[in-house]
Amino acid sequence: MNKVSSRTPRFVRIGAFIGVVFLALPIVGLLKRVAWSTLWGQLTDVATRDALRISLYASVCATLLALVLGLPLAWCLARMQFAGRRFVRALVLLPMVLPPVVGGVALLGAYGKTSGLLGGVIDSLFGIQLTYSLWGVIIAETFVALPFLVLALEGGLRSIDTKYEEAAAVMGAKDFTRFMRVTLPLLKPSLVAGLMLAWARALGEFGATITFAGNIQGRTQTAPLAVYTMLESNQEGAYALSFLLVAICVGVLVGLRDRWIGGASQ
Amino acid sequence: MISLRGTVAVGEFSRHFSLDVGNEVVGIFGANGIGKTSLLRTVAGLCPLSEGKLCVNDEIVDEPAKNQFVQPELRNIGMVFQDHSLFPFMTALDNAAFPLIMRGMKRNGARKLASEVLEQFGVAHVSAQLAPTLSGGQSQRVAIVRALVGAPRAVLLDEPLSAIDEDSREGVRNLIREHLGRLGVSAIVVSHDRADLDHLCTRIENYTR
Repeated sequence: MNKVSSRTPRFVRIGAFIGVVFLALPIVGLLKRVAWSTLWGQLTDVATRDALRISLYASVCATLLALVLGLPLAWCLARMQFAGRRFVRALVLLPMVLPPVVGGVALLGAYGKTSGLLGGVIDSLFGIQLTYSLWGVIIAETFVALPFLVLALEGGLRSIDTKYEEAAAVMGAKDFTRFMRVTLPLLKPSLVAGLMLAWARALGEFGATITFAGNIQGRTQTAPLAVYTMLESNQEGAYALSFLLVAICVGVLVGLRDRWIGGASQ
Repeated sequence: MISLRGTVAVGEFSRHFSLDVGNEVVGIFGANGIGKTSLLRTVAGLCPLSEGKLCVNDEIVDEPAKNQFVQPELRNIGMVFQDHSLFPFMTALDNAAFPLIMRGMKRNGARKLASEVLEQFGVAHVSAQLAPTLSGGQSQRVAIVRALVGAPRAVLLDEPLSAIDEDSREGVRNLIREHLGRLGVSAIVVSHDRADLDHLCTRIENYTR
């Protein structure tokens, strides 16, 4: 059976091999540049530690914020018919295709303390300055990460067979209970995938962050910003931190594959 | 009591139903595609009437002319779905206990009661298995337990014996009849198998195109 389609032509194999080399070579190059003997010292340097702490904290917060904003959006896009649905979908996707620096500029226009549409209001109401603060990092990362989560959840919600929610309703499960006990477990694979993508995007955010929140060491300097900054002054440190980021990402990919993504495809 | 007089429309399909069910088991007999499932979905509240009136126990639950519609979660109806619709991420036991928990019973009590009924239906040994690992017959039995285990005001059974093999059909029929008798509520059984209906029902309505 299936003989023609299971036979892979040579040019396809060669193309795939070049693709693998193209993807693997930078990682190899990175590993080769890491100064292993001083690695620990570089990673425990105060600027690196600050950057890692800020990055992890901000990316997790941004992912959670994206979840809070993204789940209702995904629900409406997947299951509601309303005027302007195409417009909302385009709006959701915009941060994905927008140059992140432009996103940062746009965020300044909205939440900048003096010039922004809402920045002054937020500052006087809550005393929170979003620009050049950790809040700014979180907002910028949320802005770019949100589309990934919405897309994953929207796809997940569309693929769920509504018969389970109907059955739950007949058995007396009201809206919120039904969502928590039936929709959410069915959505879990998409939710995990979406959270992972959004988190990875938030962790790697550069352009919007540096534009909107600046590059202040110990306050808004995330790991990617620190890598870029150190490349000028301390190349060993830059490669050490880059290596750690690669390790974290690989670790997350491997961990998630075993625990959730593999299970979801059964 | 179920009293339905009205039109059900789903896409291209549209049919007027006129049906009264007292505290009895009424069978709906007829070929596929004549709206048997739509009728049950309407009574359950999953498929609103486009015109007419539906009462369950003298309460108007669906009357479009008066904008009256009671959501399915408030109708307290036990239903066996044609494809069972067991939650795939739950065990057989948790599936069977679900309606009890939804109606306010504590988790432990619900599981105890549900496992007793699972036992009667001969599927206690698969209690701890996830729904997708059950055989067709096991899954259908769990679905029947799930529909009968609470104290529903009405019971709707959509082809409840389709996946039960010939040898154990008689036993499952008797169990369903026994439970329906104990509940003493209106029940509608939909089937294209005349013998099943003859065994289960006090009255059979024949639907044609």
